[in-house]
Amino acid sequence: MAEPILAGVAESDLGETPDRNWLDNAAIATVRALEDAGCALEEVDGVAVAGGNDYMPALILSEYLDLEEPSFLEGTEIGGSSFEHFCGHVRDAMARDEADVVVVAYGSTGKTGPGRDQSLEVTHPVDGFVRPTGLFRPPGAYAMAARRHMHEYGTTEKQLAEIAVATREWASMNPKAAQQEPITVDDVLESRQIAEPFNLLDCCLVSDGGGAVVLVSEEKARELGVPPISVAGVASTSTHRQDISEMPDMTTTGAAVTGPKAFEQAGITHDDVDVAQLYDSFTYTALVTLEDLGFCEKGEGGEFVSGGTTAPGGELPMNTQGGGLSYCHPGHFGVFVLIEAVRQLRGDYTGERQVDDAEVAVAHGTGGILSSSSTVVLRREA
Amino acid sequence: MNAPVEDRREEWEGPVPVPTGATEPFWEATLEGDLLFQECDCGNRQLYPRAVCTDCGAEDPPFEESEGVGTIYTYTVCHVPGEPGFGDRTPYVVGAIELAEGPRLLAMIDADPDDLEVGTPVAVRFWRISDEAAMPVFVPE
Ligand SMILES: [Zn+2]
Repeated sequence: MAEPILAGVAESDLGETPDRNWLDNAAIATVRALEDAGCALEEVDGVAVAGGNDYMPALILSEYLDLEEPSFLEGTEIGGSSFEHFCGHVRDAMARDEADVVVVAYGSTGKTGPGRDQSLEVTHPVDGFVRPTGLFRPPGAYAMAARRHMHEYGTTEKQLAEIAVATREWASMNPKAAQQEPITVDDVLESRQIAEPFNLLDCCLVSDGGGAVVLVSEEKARELGVPPISVAGVASTSTHRQDISEMPDMTTTGAAVTGPKAFEQAGITHDDVDVAQLYDSFTYTALVTLEDLGFCEKGEGGEFVSGGTTAPGGELPMNTQGGGLSYCHPGHFGVFVLIEAVRQLRGDYTGERQVDDAEVAVAHGTGGILSSSSTVVLRREA
Repeated sequence: MNAPVEDRREEWEGPVPVPTGATEPFWEATLEGDLLFQECDCGNRQLYPRAVCTDCGAEDPPFEESEGVGTIYTYTVCHVPGEPGFGDRTPYVVGAIELAEGPRLLAMIDADPDDLEVGTPVAVRFWRISDEAAMPVFVPE
């Protein structure tokens, strides 16, 4: 089957964008990603958007960009894994010749924008069971899952902290990262308590910003002359949504289902993976995803990440832009894991920041409260 | 069962449930100190209340009364308030309670965190926080 090519990637400005709204940031990321692909805005015939705080986001972005009769429209909202999920739908659409140039976009003003202002009357009835408990979400909910993992497998706070340390090491090489100062395990353990067992440095940043990925057909990719980074495998699932206590097994995420499917489609094994970009809303998110994708045995994630396995020079370079923990996190981080995977496979960087001769990358999105999982295997084709 | 119901309406500043549809019987029972779950004719037990059985699809599965006891499946100690009105309460404990009957329920745990661990047996109490609802709160047994 024809596989879509990831032809261009870009972020909008990150950090604080008080003069922009989510749509501005999504649109800015889009035009920058198109420029990266060497493709004109008028060539876009498909739009996939999630996470915009709006009704019908794909239509809004299409109008904003003044697209002419786009043939592919996607707005499925499954949280931070939506963009990985879209890759599968784009693949199907391109196999049907439905679209040639599809923009997958995200924008947010998570930091400077208006906060949530919802009454329980207008939200899901389950919120009546969750919100009056005062649970600090999402951190407290992820923390509960992490606590269960510690209980079942003996995972320690120190092991979780190792993830934050390794991620920060990568961030120290990324000028766009919000936090670049190296940290130690003790720094993490001594940072302010948020929701036990999480301290501040176990938690992602809150940022404004957007990101976009341009997916094109193989034919269009040849025309543009871009490096052939393909979507070689993709799969999605969900386990629950609003209430963490509804998660069937709090120590296993949907990645245990999507990982094997995506790997099989791509015809790869774990040894083939040169670089992993795994959603890290919290240290635990990355740890459990490593296990569920099968990079180590279930319950051995803590041991696996100890000693710099995922750090520069480690066996499995992970979140090489600094992740949601240190680079940016405007809300739906999933688009940024795709962006960095493409850049590593293209060899965009120099020195230690570049993973040597990276040919296969895994980009994994997590949405909701460990609720949705989407895995994409990306490959640099010959 | 009839667990104690403490009237906290005066001091409560957090959000309150709005009983609607399938959740109405649940919240009504809380005012009397009863914790309900749904048990379908097919045998499936579920919480939060829903208009359909998640196993067989039967509509409006009937309610049963829980014994109001269970164990802590997991928990967290919130040092940052998750809702406006919780600022003065930090740090406070929220957990997932595995009821003796099976279903899991997210709930406040009214206890010193040092006295808790995963697996601790707990029993339900209720805090009445509005005219229409009392929240289940669990304490170590
Ligand atoms: Zn049933």
